[in-house]
Amino acid sequence: MSVAMVEAVGVHKSYVGVEVLKGVDLSVARGEVTCLIGPSGSGKSTLLRCINHLEKHDKGELRVDGELVGYESRGAKLYELTDKRICHERSQIGMVFQRFNLFQHLTVLQNITIGQVKVKGVNDDVAKTKARELLARVGLADKEKHYPSQLSGGQQQRVAIARALAMEPKLMLFDEPTSALDPELVGEVLDVMRDLAQSGMTMIIVTHEMNFAREVANSVYFLDGGVIEESGDPRMVLSTPSSARLKLFLSKVL
Amino acid sequence: MTINGDDAAKVVPVRHYGRWVGMVVVVVLLVMFVQTLFSRPSFTPLTCSTSNAVRSCQHEWRFGWDVVFRYFTSSEILQGLVRTLELTIIAMAMGIVIGVVIAIMRRSQSRLLSSTAWTYTWFFRGTPVLVQLLFWFAFNALYPAVSVGVPFTHVTFFVLNIGTTITAFGSACIAFGLNEGAYFSEIVRAGLLAIDEGQTEAAISIGMTRGQTLRLIVLPQAMRVILPPTGNEVISMLKTTSLASAVGVFELLGAAGNISAANFKTIDLLITASLWYLIVTTILSIGQFYLERHYAKGALRNPPPTPIQRIRDDLEGILSKFHTARFAGADAPR
Repeated sequence: MSVAMVEAVGVHKSYVGVEVLKGVDLSVARGEVTCLIGPSGSGKSTLLRCINHLEKHDKGELRVDGELVGYESRGAKLYELTDKRICHERSQIGMVFQRFNLFQHLTVLQNITIGQVKVKGVNDDVAKTKARELLARVGLADKEKHYPSQLSGGQQQRVAIARALAMEPKLMLFDEPTSALDPELVGEVLDVMRDLAQSGMTMIIVTHEMNFAREVANSVYFLDGGVIEESGDPRMVLSTPSSARLKLFLSKVL
Repeated sequence: MTINGDDAAKVVPVRHYGRWVGMVVVVVLLVMFVQTLFSRPSFTPLTCSTSNAVRSCQHEWRFGWDVVFRYFTSSEILQGLVRTLELTIIAMAMGIVIGVVIAIMRRSQSRLLSSTAWTYTWFFRGTPVLVQLLFWFAFNALYPAVSVGVPFTHVTFFVLNIGTTITAFGSACIAFGLNEGAYFSEIVRAGLLAIDEGQTEAAISIGMTRGQTLRLIVLPQAMRVILPPTGNEVISMLKTTSLASAVGVFELLGAAGNISAANFKTIDLLITASLWYLIVTTILSIGQFYLERHYAKGALRNPPPTPIQRIRDDLEGILSKFHTARFAGADAPR
């Protein structure tokens, strides 16, 4: 039996006084696309950020590719990982943000090469070749000398995807990748993500694009108030929701 | 009716009468001021009241420009200028290094480190720089020797004799450098705060360490915010160094003071020194402009024009106005 790419059991997370995740279970198999849906404040983004250790979960077990996130278990004890080890783990998980977060002072090409060169120690020319391949893949081969501020939102988000892919991640996390885009630019980003899903990348996507979830996802999780209310095959969950909350949520977003 | 094209109607620009009056007033005042620079005082100064002095007083110019320029390149003034530049460069270099370290310590998650940084800033900003300068000058007397050894025992490895190591110039560098560090740390902190948290998160998410994130992503972008106040600090430091004459380091203003103490041409020598300060400040401002332009990369869609480009554009604008004016004149009879 192959190990799941992401396995969460009873994950809890609180910020000062507020419990955001109240025991979340989740399992994502290799090569699968999983969508997290739910109202804002339900904990979707927090769960995503716990998976690549941008946030530290307080309780429960969270594994990526069979390894505990942020800890190492030896004997009966859990040892916190050093910063260096955590950085190494993160470099294998790609993340795409709602507000793109491209490095504003670097050109498109430099945005994609900097991680390869500085984190993975790849040779500069090799990194550039790879960056150009990825830019071609997201349809922006002619923009490599541009600065992020000279691109549209949709173009920036595609560069951000290329930047994450340049690290050759085994898992890609998307935190509402189309929520900050003008409606006519959403399609170009979803197209790139669809291609990526078809190439067999394991993806976890926080999204409000229900049609995309229905079409591309292998499974969908509905979070509300820090717990998973409902999950399963997207066609089933989104068409015939069983919980009243999901029915209410879908009636508002669809 | 359109404002351009074949059937264009004549466009009458808004007349700014207030602006014209203002321009005339400013020009007249400027001419009057310049005239005073090169004339004799119309009243008889008190010192000229004795009959012997009257004749010479009548020929006395208000400002002794010949004196100003006679000393402008004298060796004492030039040596003072070099001293001033040395002090400024050393103190700013110290200030920048200390400032960056203190600013990063302020952000540390360790309470000890962040409160140490806070206390440093509090102390060095909170006491007059002249007091700090005199303190470091007196440091020799307060701590004649510093020994390196095992703390709280009598074991020592070597002893540094402060009295012979710290010169007046050294104490001035230390005083200005430490003081500048406190101010500069706040400038750096403002720069770091100005950068969106998302930049840090994105850098971390591709596996960068905290140090790499700061060095490769956050600081280069913070430079845009840090540079303008840094220009301020350098220029301010240039003039603060004049305090060093209090401990016997004769920099530019001190040298001018020395000369005027001998020949009583106080005002003239102050002008000599001030002209040098203005020249250095001008050079620094030009450097600042190009540095800012460099670090604006990516932040602006179009970089601002350089002064030379701007002058060229202005000239072209004026020339084209003349062209159209001539054109309109030629059209008039029709």
